[in-house]
Amino acid sequence: MKLWAIIRREYKERVKSKGFVISTVLIPLLMSMTIIIPMLMGDRVEERRTVAVLDSEGRWFKDLQDIVAEQSGDGLELMAVELNGRSLEQGIQEVQDLVTQGTVNGGIVFDPDFMENGKLRFYVKSVAAGLASDSLRPAVNAVLRKARYAEAGISEDLTEYLLSYTDWERLTVSEEGDATARDERGVFGMAMTLIMMLYMMVILYGQQTLVGVIEEKTSRVVEVLLSSVPSSQMMLGKILGIGAAGLTQVAIWVLSLYLASTRGISIAGMTFDASVLSPFILVSFLLFFILGFMMYSALFAGVGALCNTIQEAQPFSTPIMMFIIIPMLMLTVVMQDPGGTLATVMSLIPMFTPVLMFIRVILETPPMWQVVLSWVLLLVAIVVFSRTAGKLFRVGILMHGAAPSWGTLLKVMRQSD
Amino acid sequence: MSHDPTGPVGEAVLEIRGLCKSYGKVHAVKNLSLSIPQGAIHGFLGPNGAGKTTTIRSIMNIVVPDGGEILFGGHPLDRQRLDRIGYLPEERGLYRKMTCLDQLVFLAELKSVPRSEARHKAEAWLERVGLSDWAGRKIDALSKGMQQKVQLASVFQFDPELVILDEPFSGLDPLNVEVLRDIIREENRRGCTIIFSTHMLPEAEKLCDSICLIEGGEVILEGDLAKVKRDFPLDSVKAAFVDGRDMPSGLPGVLRTERNEGAWSLILSEGADHQKLLDGLREEGALSLFSAHRPSLDEIFISAVRKRRGAAFATQEVAS
Repeated sequence: MKLWAIIRREYKERVKSKGFVISTVLIPLLMSMTIIIPMLMGDRVEERRTVAVLDSEGRWFKDLQDIVAEQSGDGLELMAVELNGRSLEQGIQEVQDLVTQGTVNGGIVFDPDFMENGKLRFYVKSVAAGLASDSLRPAVNAVLRKARYAEAGISEDLTEYLLSYTDWERLTVSEEGDATARDERGVFGMAMTLIMMLYMMVILYGQQTLVGVIEEKTSRVVEVLLSSVPSSQMMLGKILGIGAAGLTQVAIWVLSLYLASTRGISIAGMTFDASVLSPFILVSFLLFFILGFMMYSALFAGVGALCNTIQEAQPFSTPIMMFIIIPMLMLTVVMQDPGGTLATVMSLIPMFTPVLMFIRVILETPPMWQVVLSWVLLLVAIVVFSRTAGKLFRVGILMHGAAPSWGTLLKVMRQSD
Repeated sequence: MSHDPTGPVGEAVLEIRGLCKSYGKVHAVKNLSLSIPQGAIHGFLGPNGAGKTTTIRSIMNIVVPDGGEILFGGHPLDRQRLDRIGYLPEERGLYRKMTCLDQLVFLAELKSVPRSEARHKAEAWLERVGLSDWAGRKIDALSKGMQQKVQLASVFQFDPELVILDEPFSGLDPLNVEVLRDIIREENRRGCTIIFSTHMLPEAEKLCDSICLIEGGEVILEGDLAKVKRDFPLDSVKAAFVDGRDMPSGLPGVLRTERNEGAWSLILSEGADHQKLLDGLREEGALSLFSAHRPSLDEIFISAVRKRRGAAFATQEVAS
């Protein structure tokens, strides 16, 4: 019951604060800025690109234009360079001039013997502009094939059939043996959103735990608390209360995003589409989120217990931040081989579990025992860390400036509540 | 009963036996034993660093003592029994961002009072200390005196059997001190035993039935306040002649004389005979004043501490 009182107090104090209201509104706003701004910038970069085409035989340009129009829509535009009696060299010179003047992003010059040797030249000003060739290459290939099929006397229908592209359907096989089609980009996007949320919450609310603990110490409320409840219970109450406040904030965000999505409004181009995620992924996200959050809060609380001011706590919280950053750096390694030994071991270390085991769950569904083991280990870590933080608290309130010796710390650890 | 020094003091409600606590090489408390009589207002006195706070923290289970025993009502003090002890820490132990009412309810819940009951009690106490209108305001918005009233309410609101007050009056104006003192007396009359830890000896003198003085982690003086005062050697006498003439020198047992607001203070040597002195003065002339000056707690305190520290100061020199 006392624990419940502490949880409720921490929760109410945070949810009622101005900071909570402000950050609830401001953070989605800032996040949408980071999405909207690159989108606006991106539009400018992807302005239509023009490619000059010198087709001395006059037989490729029209077909190429048809295919390009069909494939890349408005993104790419072709501009014919007519020879009008000039020599090929003069024509090439014009293409080069157009490219160097920046009138066009690139220029294609078909070899007079293109039908036979398939040769062409592609002029660009910079390496970046060469990217245009990526989308042009298949179109030019198709043009040449079509002409060669026609020459071989193959009917147009058959040509269409022969030229058609392959159609891929991706299926993910699970342990249970059923294959399901998943929108991988959707899943991955959602996963990254969730991981970013976890990351942000840990940093925001972990710091709050730290600040809360230090405040309690300076105001001496801690003496009243310690005389009423065991220190581990006090810490647990604090961590749970602050965690609940964090979850409330996330719930507000997710719910409003979801409500907006169902009404067809997308917030900053983001829509919440839970349907791309399996129930298992959603449940494990919730668990990883809550447990991971609590574990990091316990670590921050331990630092707070040992420090008297927030300034003093800064250097101590750096190692904790490292624990949060390392799994982010490990993401690509784990993604390349999610079932590998390295990924398995790393994802079972409680400090890295929330991010790494979660990404493994999304990528390949690791063996159930590993997932459950990671939850158990996280729970153990939470209990150990919050107990330790509680005991450090006892040492911390008696400290006046000087750091405790390792001997004192060990002695305190061995004491019961 | 607070000012009835002759009244009976009950059984010990709290007993400390052989308490030891050291931080590193510093012995904060050395083999300290004391008992707090039931129903008393007990002054817990001592200079800075004497070990008062460590002792209190040991009682409240904030620090774990290295050795010794703490009994509450004859039983070892466990967590359940701690719920019957109220504690007011030296500096304000309140959450700055919490409203007065929430604060009191929360602190009562920490003492295992059910939530609904805690609310009623908190409201009643806010009214009692005249802060009903402030119930919904944050602690931050309150003056220091108001904050201390809230703090005091939090200590008494759950009807504890014992309350430990660590410097409850520090930084308060005399008016607020008076209000708080009245509340403490009233609660004591209701049956609550009070441990009053302070350096402000005049306050302790006004409030306490019994005292203990600790220094260097040990008890050096302990007992009923009146008895402590009685036992302390009388060391000065106030006297004046009807015609206002000066004090003669060479009076029996007098070390020196000082003029003091129209009368004379006669500082006596240890063991001086008052009767002999009175007789001697009468021979000089008619007296308008002759009174034995009872030492204040301040004087007793300083004298006892100095004696223990081995400082060769005569008590008289520091007497007010």
